[in-house]
Amino acid sequence: MNGTKYANAVGAVRAMENSLLGRSDMEQLISARSKAEINSIIASKNGIGANAENLEDVWNMLSEYAPDCKELEILLYRNDFHNLKAVLKAIISNRDPQQYYISPSNVELPVLTEAINSREYDALPEYMRHAAAEAYELVTRTLDGQLSDSLIDTAALKAMQESAEKFGGEFMQKYAKLTTVCSDIKTAYRCCLLNKSAQFMETALCGSEELEKSELIKAALSGTEGFFGFLETTNYANAAALLKDSAAQYEKWCDDAVMELADGARSQAFGSDPLAAYFIAKEAEIKNLRILSVCKEFGADKETITERMRKLYV
Amino acid sequence: MTNGLVLALIGAALAALLAGIGSAKGVSLVGEAASGVVSVDPSKFSKVLLLELLPGTQGLYGLIAAMFILIKTNVLSGNAADLTVQQGLAFLAASLPIAVVGLISGIMQGRTAAAGVSITAKKPDHNGKAIIMAAMVETYAILALLISVLMILNIAV
Repeated sequence: MNGTKYANAVGAVRAMENSLLGRSDMEQLISARSKAEINSIIASKNGIGANAENLEDVWNMLSEYAPDCKELEILLYRNDFHNLKAVLKAIISNRDPQQYYISPSNVELPVLTEAINSREYDALPEYMRHAAAEAYELVTRTLDGQLSDSLIDTAALKAMQESAEKFGGEFMQKYAKLTTVCSDIKTAYRCCLLNKSAQFMETALCGSEELEKSELIKAALSGTEGFFGFLETTNYANAAALLKDSAAQYEKWCDDAVMELADGARSQAFGSDPLAAYFIAKEAEIKNLRILSVCKEFGADKETITERMRKLYV
Repeated sequence: MTNGLVLALIGAALAALLAGIGSAKGVSLVGEAASGVVSVDPSKFSKVLLLELLPGTQGLYGLIAAMFILIKTNVLSGNAADLTVQQGLAFLAASLPIAVVGLISGIMQGRTAAAGVSITAKKPDHNGKAIIMAAMVETYAILALLISVLMILNIAV
């Protein structure tokens, strides 16, 4: 009877999926001539079922339905660690961290700020404590924001992998691994372009079963040709080809790969996977609407907008 | 009251009890899934209700088998038959098909119908397909009831 405790939540999510924008809606939005037309198309979809316009609403809705959020919380780890970076920088530069804070997040801003200020890291979730302490120590000692950011980014990926292994099912484990690989390739490429040392990459890369850290470092140290040559021998040859041409195309590939993973949850009737997939779908939808809005503002043509659109769940 | 009659009553109790548990579990699972859908889209209530009713039948089958045992042993008329241990065991054995199959098929039909709720939520026009798939599980509960009833009716009292 695995996953039947999510029966109610899955039922609700299936009904909410009707309000997601589909391919034809996206085509209509791309062809829309005015902002009013765009708004009316979006409003017509949101009228059915869920009326969540931002990810925080989506998350609140999912947490209300989910009997156990431990596994789903992994989806917010990236936001948690981003907020940790924001708070550290705000403290160092004496600014308000609110403007950099991303929601939804597992840790509220006042809790995070207080924990860092007082260095009482026990107030933070277990997966953040060590990284928070280490990053604070590093940034105050060296004032090297880049190194501390790298440390936090790597800690986020490690925490995702560890928690997915501990609480998550197959879907969440694959999600954590895919996120790690996507991030590691991008970071290793940047390190390669900037001629970063092996020591820096040791901190900046997380590593996974699919792409081992030592191999990535070796490839990145051998120059761009060697780096892409190495990636071509892995399962990420397509991604490498896109990264060679454009970072934006590579980002799109990463988002689409996550969506392809989420697509598998469409046929599942039980468990937390459909909830996680809905969150990912809504994330992609919001991202698409942002891209559309920016493209429209700059007068991009239909083909350019279509090319940049992320894969949809429905 | 003879030992044989006690065994027959245990059989009647098992038929009603186990099949009832199967139905209760099945209906509650579909109910949970259906409530999730209705909480977001109340217009789908009547469609998901049909699916929720399906796993409820096993409980009824258990009740039917139990009633047959009670009638056959004259317990309902207040003049209970003096059954031998062999006769009692025969009634107990006759109750087992619907008791065990009712329990398992009730739970499994609940799972199938709960999965069908997702079809109804996303594609209400295909509700019939979800009902057919869940109804397939019913076949085995009906077969078990048939065997139980045939056995009960053919025990010489």
